[in-house]
Amino acid sequence: MFDAALDVIPLAIVAATPLLLAVQGELVVQRSGIINLGIEGMMLAAAMTSVLAAQATKSVAIGFLGGIAGAAVIALLFGLFAIALKADQIVTGTAINLLALGATGFVYRELQQGAIFVQSVPRLQRDFVLPLAWIAIPIVLALFLWNTSTGLRLRACGENPEVLGARVRSHRALALAIEAVLAGIAGAYLALALSSGFAENMTAGRGFIALSIVIFGRWKLKGALLGTAIFGLAAALQYALQASARGVPFHLLLAVPYVVTLLILCGVAGRVRAPESLGK
Amino acid sequence: MRLTRITKSFGATRAVDDVSLDIAPGEVLAVVGENGAGKTTLMRIAAGELAADSGEVSEHGTVGFVHQHFLLVPELTIAENLAVTHRGFRFASHRTLAREAAATIAATGIALGDVNRRVADLSVGEKSKLELIKAIARNPSTLILDEPTSVLTPHESEELFRVMRTLASRGTAIVFISHKLPEVLAVAQRVVVMRAGKVVLETRGATAQQLARAMVATDVGRASARPPRERRAEARPTFSTGDLILHEHEILAIVGVAGNGQSELARTLRDQLPHAAHIPEDRTRDGIIAGLSIAENLALRGVPPDAIHHYNVKARSAGQNAGDLSGGNQQKVILARELGREPKIIVAAEPTRGLDLDATAFVHDQLRTAAGGGAAILLITSDLDEAFALADAIQVIYRGKLSARMTPEEASTRVANLMAGVA
Amino acid sequence: MTPIVDRRRPAGAPLAEVRVKRAAYAVGAALAAILLLALSGAAFGHSPKELLALLIGGSVGSPFALQGTLLKSVPLLLTGLSVVLAFRAGVWNIGGEGQFIVGALAALVASRYGAVASLLAAMLAGAAWASLASLMRLWRNAPEVLTTILLNFTAIHLLGWCVNGPLREKAAMYPQTDLAAATLPRYGGLALAVLAAIGAWWLLYRTREGLRLRATGFNPDAATWAGVNVRAQLVRAMAVSGAVAGLAGGIELLAVTHRLFERFAAGYGYSGIAVALLAQLHPLATLASAFFFGALVSGAGELQRTANISAAVATFGQAAVILALIGFEHVRRRT
Repeated sequence: MFDAALDVIPLAIVAATPLLLAVQGELVVQRSGIINLGIEGMMLAAAMTSVLAAQATKSVAIGFLGGIAGAAVIALLFGLFAIALKADQIVTGTAINLLALGATGFVYRELQQGAIFVQSVPRLQRDFVLPLAWIAIPIVLALFLWNTSTGLRLRACGENPEVLGARVRSHRALALAIEAVLAGIAGAYLALALSSGFAENMTAGRGFIALSIVIFGRWKLKGALLGTAIFGLAAALQYALQASARGVPFHLLLAVPYVVTLLILCGVAGRVRAPESLGK
Repeated sequence: MRLTRITKSFGATRAVDDVSLDIAPGEVLAVVGENGAGKTTLMRIAAGELAADSGEVSEHGTVGFVHQHFLLVPELTIAENLAVTHRGFRFASHRTLAREAAATIAATGIALGDVNRRVADLSVGEKSKLELIKAIARNPSTLILDEPTSVLTPHESEELFRVMRTLASRGTAIVFISHKLPEVLAVAQRVVVMRAGKVVLETRGATAQQLARAMVATDVGRASARPPRERRAEARPTFSTGDLILHEHEILAIVGVAGNGQSELARTLRDQLPHAAHIPEDRTRDGIIAGLSIAENLALRGVPPDAIHHYNVKARSAGQNAGDLSGGNQQKVILARELGREPKIIVAAEPTRGLDLDATAFVHDQLRTAAGGGAAILLITSDLDEAFALADAIQVIYRGKLSARMTPEEASTRVANLMAGVA
Repeated sequence: MTPIVDRRRPAGAPLAEVRVKRAAYAVGAALAAILLLALSGAAFGHSPKELLALLIGGSVGSPFALQGTLLKSVPLLLTGLSVVLAFRAGVWNIGGEGQFIVGALAALVASRYGAVASLLAAMLAGAAWASLASLMRLWRNAPEVLTTILLNFTAIHLLGWCVNGPLREKAAMYPQTDLAAATLPRYGGLALAVLAAIGAWWLLYRTREGLRLRATGFNPDAATWAGVNVRAQLVRAMAVSGAVAGLAGGIELLAVTHRLFERFAAGYGYSGIAVALLAQLHPLATLASAFFFGALVSGAGELQRTANISAAVATFGQAAVILALIGFEHVRRRT
């Protein structure tokens, strides 16, 4: 069984890559004081637009750009309502998710009738996303947040926005843009590398898991990496265990990340300090 | 800097009334007065934060303003807090920020210690110093400090005064707003006393007692002419905590300049005495629930809607939205709600603030009637006229501590000094 | 951060005028959503007229369609009420989905004791699940906005475990449970839901408890000064809200599906938010609001059957309504 577990590790890392990208994007945004439930919708939209772009141009690279574009549209909507109109972030995020779910379902079905989906989806040949997500992006984000003036101000937005006054909005918009890029890559990777195209609701709640991991990792990048790795390994282990018919209740294990996050929110493992003005 | 004939009103209240003031470079000027005297408003106008209704502000160079409430990010370090308001994009490691912060702080002459500490871990005094450093770092020619010692220990206050003297000796004009006379006398060269929006005294060598008397308007001597209320022999204490003892049939007034702990006291009592009647200081924010009707507001304490007649509330009907009423009528609704169930203990904070004469007289009547009926009343007010008109006993609150209980006669000679922190 | 629906009346505005305005915003948002659907359809070559005809026909165009709409409105009405009760108290109960599921689970287990016991169990379970979140907020300051969502996912996986494990049907062919031991007549659920709406209205506007709840929602500080125990109110509001959502799950089980399976909740909890907001957070208006969204679901089903347009447009419509309401609220505050 231990062998099976070891075999599973590389698979786990790959499978958890979209999640990691989403976690890092949401982390940046939450550090700026916004809670974006709509990350789920962003990834889902990106999955669909990436497939469309890749099929239309037969290029995976364009596919990824298409994914980013799709996520950006959703991010723009969210930013419009939650930042510019200052609407409640939770309700807006929920609405955005519903929007993305409905819109992607609708558009997918429409386009199925056209020629475009008949073509095969180009697949990712050399996986550049893996090292990007696990190594390059964490380093770049860490440098940005903790070693630049803009990153400093962005973090201040999440704690005491009144210190920055009118500049808060532009910094939060920047955070959303970063999240859009990362969510776009995540959705595209999911559709073009881990699957063979788009399927309705294919993100299957990864966005909410990402939210949990951001909290689990206490809004730090190291925590994000660790949390995602643990989650990915646990998920992969579940499959391995299931395959060996060990009778461990599969579904209950699926609930574990959420229960753990609940416990963390209750301060079971030390006090959790969210960015002070998160969601306000 | 020169302020010429500054006037400023907020609605019907004239906060600053035709005030002219010169501030010379290198001098330390103190502006003192009770709450509402107009000191902060005047200085905010001087700093350019507020626009005066009429008059002129002419300044040479920039004006720095150190606020009472900190504008700091607690989760960031000292170095980060100093850098966070800068503009533009650049790479800046922790070491760079620390170096720059240390240099900035050294230039001000204030000692703050390790700049890599989080602001949340600093003492209140250190946070205050950081706010000061932020203002000084911009090299203003005039520096205004609003109640800078309200959160400082005496030792920290000393340090602050040293910094102020140093800055003054370098040519900066320093203005500090305070109601604490001992400190004012310790550091200021010139003192301006304000009362009700006007400058009533400008002096260089007055004593604390002279200043205190100038700050306080009331001719407190006449208070003793009021006949004492009938008290039951052996009035048992209805409630006591610390230095505070409430008796039936008695109105105890707590007076003091706002910001000395009155709000905290009212809040503590609210939590300790949930069945007592509480009239909150801020009637629009804490008193009336604007989304509910008058009748519904009353019903929260089980008071029937016809109480609006007993309490003279001018409204179309009890079903009217409570948020529509004028301040005076809202206060009457709050009174109706709280007093309508004949409580044994009443805590009233600033009950007549902003009310006209009629409404004020009404409120006073209600309180007297309630006391006559046996209630124990605690009146927290910064209006000395009101305190002396109603109270059977008076205590002064200063820096969160209560003075000894005094009769109105005793208080008349001592209250001004006690409120200003003079023994 | 501002509430999407602000129940405070602007100073000096007569009640009738305010009510008309609120209704106008609701109708406007509903129309905006339909318009957006029509435009989206047109963008892909469908005729808007045909689209609307199918939507209307599929939802209210025939007695059969109307029946379907009414029945689809029932869970929406109840989850909508659940959100109304919570939001009015200032509590962010986003956990309707989980409370729905847990309610249904309890209803299934208790169904051997009859329909009444089953529904009571559903309400208790929903209240308890919601109370997990409110107690976590009370004791550990955990924001209920996050904990209710996390509890949703926990409930979904709990359901998955139950239908694949301990509660799996005896035949063990599909991941679903056996039939519940009790049933409700199809329209029984509708009657109960309407009663619940009336009951919620009566609770909010005719009882002291409801007054305290509304006061807490408007201004918890002022409510505290007026002697309301705000912390207790929050817990009670969450419990009642959870109970109503749990009831929704119980009714869905006993009257419609009769057994549990993995995708049992299918978004009812989140749709409840749209229902509550369109109803401008008034319990009686949820009757109309739930009907509208029920019609949207029915109509979308017809769109899928006849014009091969994904039924997901109903979800899209919910989102459009919420976003339109946000837009109107923003405009309202500016003017």
